[in-house]
Amino acid sequence: MIRMENVHKYFDDIEVLRGINLSIKPGEVVVIVGPSGSGKSTLLRCINRLEKITSGLIEVDGYDLNNKKTDINKVRTEATMVFQQFNLFPHMTVLGNVTLGPNKVRGLSKAKAEDLGRELLIKVGLADKTDVYPRQLSGGQQQRVAIARALALRPKVLLFDEPTSALDPELVGEVLEVMRKLAKEGMTMVVVTHEMGFAKEVADRCIFIDEGIIMEEASPIKFFDSPDHPRLRDFLGKVLEH
Amino acid sequence: MLIETMGMELHPPTFPEAAMANFDFAYHVMWESVPMLMKGLRYTIIITAGGLFFGFILGVASGLMKLSRNPILPRIAGVYIESIRGTPLMVQVMFLYFGLPLLLGMRIPPLTASIIAIAVNAGAYIAEVVRGAVQSIEKGQVEAGRSIGLSRSQTMLYIIWPQAFRRMIPPLGNQFIISLKDTSLLVVIGMGELTRTGQEIIADNFRAFEVWLTVAIIYLAITRTLSYALSVLERRMSVSERS
Repeated sequence: MIRMENVHKYFDDIEVLRGINLSIKPGEVVVIVGPSGSGKSTLLRCINRLEKITSGLIEVDGYDLNNKKTDINKVRTEATMVFQQFNLFPHMTVLGNVTLGPNKVRGLSKAKAEDLGRELLIKVGLADKTDVYPRQLSGGQQQRVAIARALALRPKVLLFDEPTSALDPELVGEVLEVMRKLAKEGMTMVVVTHEMGFAKEVADRCIFIDEGIIMEEASPIKFFDSPDHPRLRDFLGKVLEH
Repeated sequence: MLIETMGMELHPPTFPEAAMANFDFAYHVMWESVPMLMKGLRYTIIITAGGLFFGFILGVASGLMKLSRNPILPRIAGVYIESIRGTPLMVQVMFLYFGLPLLLGMRIPPLTASIIAIAVNAGAYIAEVVRGAVQSIEKGQVEAGRSIGLSRSQTMLYIIWPQAFRRMIPPLGNQFIISLKDTSLLVVIGMGELTRTGQEIIADNFRAFEVWLTVAIIYLAITRTLSYALSVLERRMSVSERS
């Protein structure tokens, strides 16, 4: 589904990704953790080309992202992003946010898009919020709308960029619950997060990135219980303390 | 010839000594001048509406040009915006009406020249309003639009523009009022709008106090109405953004 080979990414002179090799199979849930500034968000943003890589190869659903002929809008409908700050469209209702993609990008009729939208809002537990505006919702509710908006494109992969980092602690659970449900349904997911509990429970594979390099890649059991790399041991020690 | 008459009108008219000494406020003069002033007001409104209509189109086009990633378009827009903002409107009007015809070999009718002058002038300011409003929309909105597969232009149309437009309303309203008042400068090309009509009435009856007061009240009534309409629009359009 996703293949990265020797990916390098520079921001001006700073090398943020230093040779990433990674491949993700359909149906896999991969959790990426790492200290801040490690390049984990950049890695995720490269997968739907919100950031362009400097060198290397990325393939998503068979599309070569570096190829100029690749229709990037098509790739993005297959690998949709959920953002830390939700980024809902404030001038549209909840239903409007969810139906925009299917209607304008996938070409569904308005009525069909709305049916789909309602169905997805039921799935994320917001059936009663279709006609309100994002500002009237809590952070957790907004993030669930954002997940519904991404799902509305029927993507093959969902990319989560620290989806719970901007939420009040008591709202984290409701978002993770939705993500858990998606994982169970077999959705392919790449999740950058600090929620170690979620990683342990839901991930098929955990990846530790530091200084732009994948330092460790393992099953959650091995990753959390007997990590090889001292950097990871150190990192886990710090984040699991509290 | 035109320059001569213009020069005369720009100087204060001379009054008979007697009229100055026992000034009495002639209320009825105000009422009597209204019908003629209304004819002038008609032109003021036509010029303002026409000028702002084309000025808005020009402003949106050049504001978006300024934001373009194309290497040349932002420069073209920049030259236009800076040369208009950096020169007085009165000079622009006289250049357009007295200067350009010498180059073109034909006179531009005063009404057309007036509308063009207001449009070109307002367009430069509106361009900056548009640019500022579009740039004020958070980067995350573009990213969210793009990451659900919308193209650049779709993102602009469905996501950025509707939000930016709301933010444009207060500064646009401001520009509308400025442009309306700026039409009074068109006296220099003899355009028979409200101010010029006031001058003509005074040339007949020498009642400068009453007539200018009436003219001022009419301008005020129009600008107040305009700001009220804009504040209603602003409130309506921001309903969805309030919680």
